[in-house]
Amino acid sequence: MIHIENLVKRYGNLTALDHLNLDIQKGEVFGLLGPNGSGKTTAINCLLALLKYEKGTITIFGKPMRPDSYDIKRDIGVVMQNVAVFDQMSVYENIDYFCGLYVKNKAERRALVEDAIIFSGLEDFRKMRPKKLSGGLLRRLNIACGIVHKPKLIILDEPTVAVDPQSRNRILEGILELNRQGSTIIYTSHYMEEVEQICSRIAIIDHGHVLATGTTEELKKMIKTGETITIEAIALDEGALKDILALPHVFDINYEEQVLKIRLNGARHNLVRILNYLQEHDISFGRVFSELPTLNDVFLEITGKELRD
Amino acid sequence: MTVFRGFLTITKRNLNTMIMYLVIFLSICLIIQKMLLPETDEAFEQQSLNIAVIDRDGGQLARGLADYLKTWHTIKDIPDDKSILQDRLFYREIYYIVTIPDDFEEKYLTEDASLSVTKVPGSTSGYYVDQQINTFLSNVRVMTAGGFSLPEAIAYVQENTEASSEVTLFDKNGYGSQTPEHAFMYQYMPYIILSILCYTLSYIMIAFGNPEVRKRMLISSVSARSMNLQLILGYGVIGLAVWGICSLMPVLLYHKSFLSDPHLPYYLVNSLLLTLVGLSIAFLIGTLVHSAEVVSAVVNVITLGMSFSCGVFVPLDIIGKGLKAIAHFLPVYWYEINNTLISGNRSFSPSQLTGLYTGYAIQLLFAAAFIGITLVIRHTRRQADS
Repeated sequence: MIHIENLVKRYGNLTALDHLNLDIQKGEVFGLLGPNGSGKTTAINCLLALLKYEKGTITIFGKPMRPDSYDIKRDIGVVMQNVAVFDQMSVYENIDYFCGLYVKNKAERRALVEDAIIFSGLEDFRKMRPKKLSGGLLRRLNIACGIVHKPKLIILDEPTVAVDPQSRNRILEGILELNRQGSTIIYTSHYMEEVEQICSRIAIIDHGHVLATGTTEELKKMIKTGETITIEAIALDEGALKDILALPHVFDINYEEQVLKIRLNGARHNLVRILNYLQEHDISFGRVFSELPTLNDVFLEITGKELRD
Repeated sequence: MTVFRGFLTITKRNLNTMIMYLVIFLSICLIIQKMLLPETDEAFEQQSLNIAVIDRDGGQLARGLADYLKTWHTIKDIPDDKSILQDRLFYREIYYIVTIPDDFEEKYLTEDASLSVTKVPGSTSGYYVDQQINTFLSNVRVMTAGGFSLPEAIAYVQENTEASSEVTLFDKNGYGSQTPEHAFMYQYMPYIILSILCYTLSYIMIAFGNPEVRKRMLISSVSARSMNLQLILGYGVIGLAVWGICSLMPVLLYHKSFLSDPHLPYYLVNSLLLTLVGLSIAFLIGTLVHSAEVVSAVVNVITLGMSFSCGVFVPLDIIGKGLKAIAHFLPVYWYEINNTLISGNRSFSPSQLTGLYTGYAIQLLFAAAFIGITLVIRHTRRQADS
């Protein structure tokens, strides 16, 4: 459905997109995961022909995407990171206006606007101006304006930034519902939990190029980390640290401010083995956590830095 | 026509501002007109005062002076008592007391002698009587010096006061050389046209210029060309509506006097060109200013600044040379030059007509310049954005 090949975009000396390659299939919820400044929004803007790029090709629905590709644009809905509505218009007028940019027929438009209002739960706020809406409702209005014309492809660029948990859940459920209704979704975020929750396939992007692509499970399998064990309030000397690092399946340890973080590759009984060592050597400890790898671990291992750095 | 519909929807939200400006405009027009236009244009009435003449001389000249003053004023018979005279003056029973001293006639005709006068302090009518007394005495002195006897001189002067001359003012513009009432309205019109257009359209421009909204519109299936055309159409409709309402106001207020003015088309063209200038300035402000809060300050500076320096609130005749020189670089100045020309002449000489068309052309050039500058700014920004 979408094919991006060797996309290069530069802002002066800064290379925002460095030979970016992406393939997105019909019906996917495709997550574009990366820290702030990694090139996600630039990639979306190039995809939408809002930005000129130095090199590369973009095809959507099998056709090259250009600023005047209005036939392609007709089937694309975009929800930008910042709320893009008119303050002077009511909720209904805003949705109707943005729907009107795609749908000429008045009766058809009225039905679509009603659907979008119901979908985004804005039934009680039709006549309200955006300034009177809460942050969560405003985000929902932003989404309603982007998806009102029922596009085949919906691009959501960090739609949950600064949104309360309740509204966030509603938005995420809404995105999945849109996907069930047949829309292909591109979802960019730096919230790995969200991406993990809703995306069927993920591309991890940093410094303008894709580091890894796959499902959550595929990405997790790509890395060495099978488990991370964290032990709090522990007093260790150099010898103990060396011993722990020498335990089976342990490949990395980090000891800071009396918190020991042990990364191990996938194996059973890791926790038992470590706790046994601590007991045998009479090392007292506080809380203990064991976590399976997250996308943050994937990102950390691939890039050497935390996703939220 | 979605963009155009959106344009009108946002305009509707600014209707209150538009109405407020129209009310301000009408009020200013009516108040200033009342202040500037004389109550009666064609009648002249002399003022008659209650005065007292204390004649201690009793000669022919004193009696002649009293008779002369009686021609205009009512002479009250009041005893020659200082306290009584002061009381009457204090209670405004009389406004002027002239005391003719002993031997005044003899002294006046041979040497210089003066009369003692008492009047209500600061009253203009007192100066009026002073002038009449001076006129009488100097005329009598001139005539007696020329060989006339005193009774003859007094009789001639008295006779002259009864003569009146007919004065006919040259009617330069068909309105008795007075500025027609609707011309006042056209004089103040730049303020209202510029204010309404700059406020309303700048707010609309800011709304449509919001980068996020613009982005959402650019990725829609409506072409950028169609969007621009619809925005231009919106501009045109708003501009014509404001011009139409402003042109309708003199029709409603002055009916025939305005409609029968042979210069009606010139007024209309002048104000239409000013509307174009207003649209172009609004386009520029809406492009340069990104915050609705700043618009108010910018529009006030521009509209009030041009109104005060270009002859909208203060007639061009009384504006200082320096300010007038600066005003040459502002479009409203040329509008006001044209307005003065149109309202001040019944017909135009070839040079006046050239001046009028020059004023039109300069306004058009200003509009083109503002639009050109704005387009360059927008183009530069677009290049930078992409």
